[in-house]
Amino acid sequence: MSKKHTEPACGPVVEEEIHLTLVELCQACRVSEEYVMSWVSEGVLEPIGEAPTEWRFAGQSLRRARLALSLTRDLELNPPGVALALDLLDEIAALQARLQRLGSAWPTK
Amino acid sequence: MKFKDYYETFGLPRSATQEEIKRAYRKLARKYHPDVSKDPDAEVRFKELGEAYAVLKDPEKRAAYDQMGSQWQAGQDFQPPPGWDAGFEFGGSGFGDGADHSDFFEALFGRQARAAQRPGRHARGEDRHAKVLIDLEDAYRGAQRSLSLRMPELDALGRVVMKERRLDVGIPKGIRAGQHLRLAGQGAPGLGEGPAGDLYLEIAFNPHPQFRVDGRDVFLDLPLAPWEAALGCSLTVPTPEGSVQLTVPAGSAAGRQLRLKGKGIPGDPPGDLYVVPAIVLPPAASAGEQEAYRALAKAFEFDARAHMKGVSP
Repeated sequence: MSKKHTEPACGPVVEEEIHLTLVELCQACRVSEEYVMSWVSEGVLEPIGEAPTEWRFAGQSLRRARLALSLTRDLELNPPGVALALDLLDEIAALQARLQRLGSAWPTK
Repeated sequence: MKFKDYYETFGLPRSATQEEIKRAYRKLARKYHPDVSKDPDAEVRFKELGEAYAVLKDPEKRAAYDQMGSQWQAGQDFQPPPGWDAGFEFGGSGFGDGADHSDFFEALFGRQARAAQRPGRHARGEDRHAKVLIDLEDAYRGAQRSLSLRMPELDALGRVVMKERRLDVGIPKGIRAGQHLRLAGQGAPGLGEGPAGDLYLEIAFNPHPQFRVDGRDVFLDLPLAPWEAALGCSLTVPTPEGSVQLTVPAGSAAGRQLRLKGKGIPGDPPGDLYVVPAIVLPPAASAGEQEAYRALAKAFEFDARAHMKGVSP
């Protein structure tokens, strides 16, 4: 390959500029549609649209789906277990954010 | 290469049953899962667990590993004896996911391709993920980062090899921790004439010595002397985009936040910068300083425990 000055790679911020289709979300997480559908039915992911072919997932779904996948694969959790774990992780994140706001008198780490 | 004692990883004897191994793995995996654990070593420990479990859960791999005998100690220099795996077949489920196992694991079990490359087959390349650490200041200004990515690729023989690749990336102004950039076509190459996959970059901030961040809001602890907090003062305080003049109102209490609107991470809407006063008590070391505190006590009709009166003796 020739060595030339190349422009840096740029791309959209997923959380702000993108809605993912079911196919895109599955590709991005390397997971089958069945898994994503099971998480939707447990309320882990909340796409807009009626039929799966019309589903559009907000950018935040990418992080949630990847988390759901790693919990499923690594801890062998079933979809209700994944849903519970994600709810608890959300709650921990909210509490940690409050600690961040309170200041150094309350170290978070 | 160092020998790895996969039984030691789980704290189990070599005689452990498959059921005991599974139970030990599940318990430790929950404890050290990097998405759940706050342990700083979680990622490393979890990787070791995954590797040990990949060997011990599979009866064939476990039997082959056991055959090397128990004379090996963890950390001992190790070369696999020639023909050590004769009579074993490591087929079936690949390890997948480009799992980055140790040299020890690879010397014994090798790497397996996830999918055999069949000629004439066209498929889109897989999407890839990587994490990028940036400074908080980069989120204010935008930045360019040169990344070194280690990615699994198939070589000419269809084996998975780890390849290093450099990539220059533009970090947009206003990006926040936990957000992802999607770089089209920068993932794994496609098969045949299939297009390349995408690369998703997750953004995280390097810890900052002065500022804390929550979403788009930024926090700064501001130490104040008691008289500065009581009487008010005008100070120069740092922000990630340079110093600003700040008026601390008289009667500022510790913990009461002063908001600098729009001075957080830029965006629509931008975040705010919160200055959090922390009152620092000067020590009374010299006789003169002690006298000053006594004069304070005399000047004030102040009972720090007024709210405790009548609650309990």
